[in-house]
Amino acid sequence: MIRFVGFALGRAWQGFWRNVVMSVAATGTMVLMLLLLSGFWIVQTGLIAGLEFVEQKVQVVADLNDATTAEHATQLVTRTAALPEVARVTYVSREEALQRFRDARAAQGEEDLTPYLGSNPLRASLEVTLRNPGRFGQVLEVLRAEPDVIRVKDIQDLVERVLTVTSMLRTAGAVVLVIVGLIVLFIIVNTIRLAVVARAEEIEIMRLVGASDAFIRWPFVFEGALVGLFGAGITLAILFGASEPLARFMFDFFRVLPFRVESIARDVSLLVTGTGVGLGVLGSWLSVRTYLLR
Amino acid sequence: MLASPGASLAPVVTRLPSPLSSSSTRSGRYVARQQDGLADRVRGLLTGRAGARVRRPPDNTVLVLRDVTKEYANGKQALRDVDLVIPEGDFVFLVGPSGAGKSTLMKLIIRDELASQGEVFLDGEDLARVPRRQVPRIRRKIGTVFQDFKLLPSKTVRENVAFALEVTGTPRRQIGPAVDRVLALVGLTAQASQTPAQLSGGERQRTAIARALVHDPRIIIADEPTGNLDPLISWEIIQLLLRINELGVTVLMATHDADVVTALRKRVVALEDGRVIRDEVGGAYHRED
Repeated sequence: MIRFVGFALGRAWQGFWRNVVMSVAATGTMVLMLLLLSGFWIVQTGLIAGLEFVEQKVQVVADLNDATTAEHATQLVTRTAALPEVARVTYVSREEALQRFRDARAAQGEEDLTPYLGSNPLRASLEVTLRNPGRFGQVLEVLRAEPDVIRVKDIQDLVERVLTVTSMLRTAGAVVLVIVGLIVLFIIVNTIRLAVVARAEEIEIMRLVGASDAFIRWPFVFEGALVGLFGAGITLAILFGASEPLARFMFDFFRVLPFRVESIARDVSLLVTGTGVGLGVLGSWLSVRTYLLR
Repeated sequence: MLASPGASLAPVVTRLPSPLSSSSTRSGRYVARQQDGLADRVRGLLTGRAGARVRRPPDNTVLVLRDVTKEYANGKQALRDVDLVIPEGDFVFLVGPSGAGKSTLMKLIIRDELASQGEVFLDGEDLARVPRRQVPRIRRKIGTVFQDFKLLPSKTVRENVAFALEVTGTPRRQIGPAVDRVLALVGLTAQASQTPAQLSGGERQRTAIARALVHDPRIIIADEPTGNLDPLISWEIIQLLLRINELGVTVLMATHDADVVTALRKRVVALEDGRVIRDEVGGAYHRED
C-alpha cells in the first residue's frame, strides 16, 4: 500500500513536470477560475453583510408617556426584550433624546438650538431592533397595547420596501454565485480533461502492458490534486497580497458592516483550497474513467 | 520491397548473432513444437533464473479461437466463424487486405473487445469469463508491438521499457536487472539513455519489442511492426522476432509485407472478409496453387 502510494505520488510529480506546458496551462486556468470564484464569494459576503446592516436599521420606535416612571420603563424594556421577535431593546430617556438632538446638530455643523428651549420637548422612547424585520407586526401590536406607550410609528411601508430590495439582492447574489460556481466547475474539469486527453497514449500503453485500473487512475488523480494545490496556493498568495491595500482602501466602508475579516480570510482559504483540490481530483477521475471503461 | 529476399537478407542475417541465422532457411513442416523446456529456458533467460522450469504439457496451446464471430454495434461483421489454434512456440503470419479482420482479431486476443459468438482462450483461460479486474493479469501474458511503436517521447529507452514493469507494481529492485536483460536481447544497451526522438525507426521498434518482452509474455502480438520501416530495417525487426521465437516465445504477426512472409515460409493464416480463407504451414503471402 505504502509502495503503491509512493509510486502514484512519484508518477504524479513526474507527470506534472514532464508535461510542464500542459500543467502550467491547467494551473493558470485554475488560478484564474479560483480568483473569479473567490472574488464573487467575497462580493457576495459583503453584500449579505451590507443587507443585514440595512435591515438592522429598521427599528420599531415606541414613544412613552411623559408620566412613565423609571420603574415602569424598566419593566417595559424587560417585557419587550422577552418577545421572541426582538433582538435588542434600548431605552432612550428624554435627556438622552435631547443630547442626541444636540449631537446631531453639532455633527451637521448647525447651531445648538436647545438653549432657546424652555423645557425638554422630546419624549422618552423604546428603540426595538428586530430579529426579523418582516415580523414587526406582532411587536407593533404588543407595544400599542401597553398603557405607557402613547405612539408607535407605523413602519410598514419602509419595512416592505427594504425587504423587497434586500431579498431581491440576496437572491440575485446567490444566483450569480451559483452560475459562477458552475462556470468554474466546467472550465476546471475540462482543462484537466484536456491535460489527461493529451496523454491518452500513455494511458493506452499502460492498459496494453497490463496495468491495473488503480495504477492508471491514481497517479492522474494525484496530479489533478497537485494542480489544484498549486492553483489554490497561487490564488491565496495573490488574494492576501491584494487584501492589504484593498482593505485600507475599503476600510471606511467595511468597518460599519457586521462581518469579521478573520472569518472571511479563513472561509476564502477553505473555499479556494477545497475547490482547487476537489475539482482537480474530480476532473482527473472523470477523464481517466472514460479510458478505463472502454 | 525486396525483389530477392535471399540476396538482401544475407548481409542482415550475418550481422545478427546465432541462432537467428538458421531460422530464415527453415520452412515447410508445421509441427506443434516439442520444445522440451525451450519456453522455460527463455523464461529463465528473461527473469534471470537460468534453468527455471515451468511444467507445461508439450502440446500446450497458447491461443485458441473456437467458432468466433465478432459483430460491431453498427451491424458490421468483422470476423465470422473463425477457428484458430496456435501452439506454444509457433510463429504465425496473419495476412489479408485492410478491413479483413486482422485488427479485430488482435483486439479480441488482448481482450479489448469480446467475441459476439464463440470462444477465445488465452493460455487456457476463456477471455469472456475473465472478470474485468483480471484483464490486466491477462494482458501481462501478451506482449504487444505496433506499427507506430507507441513509445513515450519524454522517456528514455530504459524508462520506456521499465515503465511496463513500474505500472504493474513490480518491485523496484527487480526492474533494473529485467530491463538490462531485454535491452541486451534486442541490442539496445548502448542506446538505453536516449529518447525515442534520438533513435532510428528500427531502434524505436526494438525498444517497443523490449517493452513487450519485459513481462516474459506467453505470446507476442505484432500488428504491422514493419509498416513504418524501410525494407532493410524491416528485415532486422523480423530477424529479432524470429530470434525471440527461437527462444520459445509464440509470435503472431499481422503484416502486409509479402516479401517477408513468402521468404520465411512460416505458418500463414489469411483472412478475407472476416473469414479464415487459408491456414497453411510454410505458406507464402499469396495462395500458390
